[in-house]
Amino acid sequence: MSKAAFEAGASSVDLTIEDPLLEVRDLKKYFPIRKGVFARHVGDVKAVDGISFRVRRNETLSLVGESGCGKTTAGRTLLRLLAPTGGSALYRPIPNGPQVDLFELSNAKMRGFRSDLQIIFQDPFASLNPRMPVSMIIGEALRVHGLARGAELEDRVSQLLERVGLRAEARNRFPHEFSGGQRQRIGIARALALNPRFIVCDEAVSALDVSIQAQIINLLKDLQEEFNLSFLFIAHDLSVVKYLSDRIAVMYLGRIVETGTTQDIFERAAHPYTQALLSAVPRPDPTLAKDRIVLQGDVPSPMNPPSGCHFRTRCPLAEDRCAETYPDYVRLSATHSAACHLIQPET
Amino acid sequence: MSADGKLLELQGLRTYFYSEEGEARAVDGVDYTLMKGETLGVVGESGCGKSVTALSVIGLIPSPPGKVVGGKVWFKGRNLLELSEKEMQEIRGNEISMIFQEPMTALNPVYTIGNQIIETVRLHQGLGKEEARQRAIEMLDLVHIPNPEARIDEYPHQLSGGMRQRVMIAMAMSCDPDLLIADEPTTALDVTVQAQILELIGDLQSRTDMSVLLITHDLGVIAETANHVAVMYAGKVVEYATAVDLFAKPRHPYTIGLFRSLPDFAAPGERLQAIPGIVPSAFRFPSGCRFRTRCPLASEQCAREEPPLVPVEDSGEGHTLACHFPEEALGL
Repeated sequence: MSKAAFEAGASSVDLTIEDPLLEVRDLKKYFPIRKGVFARHVGDVKAVDGISFRVRRNETLSLVGESGCGKTTAGRTLLRLLAPTGGSALYRPIPNGPQVDLFELSNAKMRGFRSDLQIIFQDPFASLNPRMPVSMIIGEALRVHGLARGAELEDRVSQLLERVGLRAEARNRFPHEFSGGQRQRIGIARALALNPRFIVCDEAVSALDVSIQAQIINLLKDLQEEFNLSFLFIAHDLSVVKYLSDRIAVMYLGRIVETGTTQDIFERAAHPYTQALLSAVPRPDPTLAKDRIVLQGDVPSPMNPPSGCHFRTRCPLAEDRCAETYPDYVRLSATHSAACHLIQPET
Repeated sequence: MSADGKLLELQGLRTYFYSEEGEARAVDGVDYTLMKGETLGVVGESGCGKSVTALSVIGLIPSPPGKVVGGKVWFKGRNLLELSEKEMQEIRGNEISMIFQEPMTALNPVYTIGNQIIETVRLHQGLGKEEARQRAIEMLDLVHIPNPEARIDEYPHQLSGGMRQRVMIAMAMSCDPDLLIADEPTTALDVTVQAQILELIGDLQSRTDMSVLLITHDLGVIAETANHVAVMYAGKVVEYATAVDLFAKPRHPYTIGLFRSLPDFAAPGERLQAIPGIVPSAFRFPSGCRFRTRCPLASEQCAREEPPLVPVEDSGEGHTLACHFPEEALGL
């Protein structure tokens, strides 16, 4: 997208956000498809196909969508755990201070920013090294970045463990000795170790039982308050998202289809996909009427997305023009926009 | 079928597992009832015994290490625990079918989906090859798989997760069962696909008068599908009621805690009221009431005596509760 189009507002960014901590522009991540003995490049899986958003300081932006929509890839590419195919990620650690494009940095320079940008993974069983005691898991980054050593390191690890609700004695134990919720606390302590400003929470509470999930959600909220953190919360559970988010971006097949404040999305969803997604969530009240929009079919493969609007094959409102061009963003308000041919812009 | 409309009734079912660490009392005295044509939702967190209970009903507990050590499973007037393996085989697949959370692991990857359905109907209904194939196509059509004549020759990996779960349901339905046990049937699926599958199960149920035993951790799914609900904790049913009664006025401190943990009921900015602590290990349940280590009402009596599952006086018909303090729980 051109800079001019950006300024004109034909984008998914929230125009009310000035001086964002992070501004992502037109982020793309393609995975090449190779065929034959010479591994000829025959096409791309466009896992993330040009998404733009801003993240304020001390706020939670959620990326939501179904499997294969690209939300996890977006989070990982943003942190350069995957190499970006295109776009920029403008990071401004100090309010109104200098801005760097994370995607332009050399690996060595990027390392300097890694302490600021952390990630918490979904599966606390797979994301902790089973051969390391907790003190090493949490202390490793401190050591690597040369931030603490010896007794100071030990103290810091104990502090972190206590802050996430574990006992300091847990330091000498191994991951398998903990329950799922406790392991997620260890993952959070590890993310916090370097005093980050921005944390990608990639389905961080999805694998947990509801009573434990509530404990971890409370912990994340407390930590955000205490350390002024910004979260990019990647999740598919919309009730958790509603509770935790300031703003939400809904993704479908590699693109953001709608974005807005939590109220915009939950009270005035404009995109037919967002509406269907919200209505599909089972609500814990047996007396409610089931006025559900049940979508037909499955999410198409990102290897071969439908022409025009990617959602048209499942959209109850699709018209001929939807097959022709991908819709531009329509601005519904300064905070709210959606990409659909059938939506009328703000008047 | 017994005259009172009960299809399935569990009385004091106990299933233990034995390992080097000792005896795990995964299911330790479970009572619940499923009426004909209804859906019973069994809800609880990981390790509460909800799946092991279902596997005990259908006779699929791996032994060793597991063993059904006590209780009764009444199904259409017979105690399934007294049947021989041969008699159980007659019932499994014919009268009781089961679908699982992960349809990829439940389907055999080296056979086409058609082969797998055909095997089921030939085995149980003694149909010939051609008839069985026709029946399989009908079943795929019944679960809304598009173009079933072609899809029948595909392998499981060629299908999406939602389609695989439809195939599982087609197999389960192919012998027209009286009872469908669905163990977290939509947990691995996206929410829009979950909506499709729940709608499909409901639709099949209304056509065939089948009963469904639905095991899930998702209170939203329970609210939308279940007529009755059994809440399990640490190998026991702690509360049983109609869905309407349970959601309107939960009485067990654990049930209340579960509801309060849900972000759905919290106002924006309000902290979630999480249940403190973690689920106790099945090797070492606390004495007395097993929830007492996490319960705000726990007293010395709770440590001493295990509360029985008894009717709640001031609630709807059939609402039962295992708590020493039903009055105090109202004030939580």
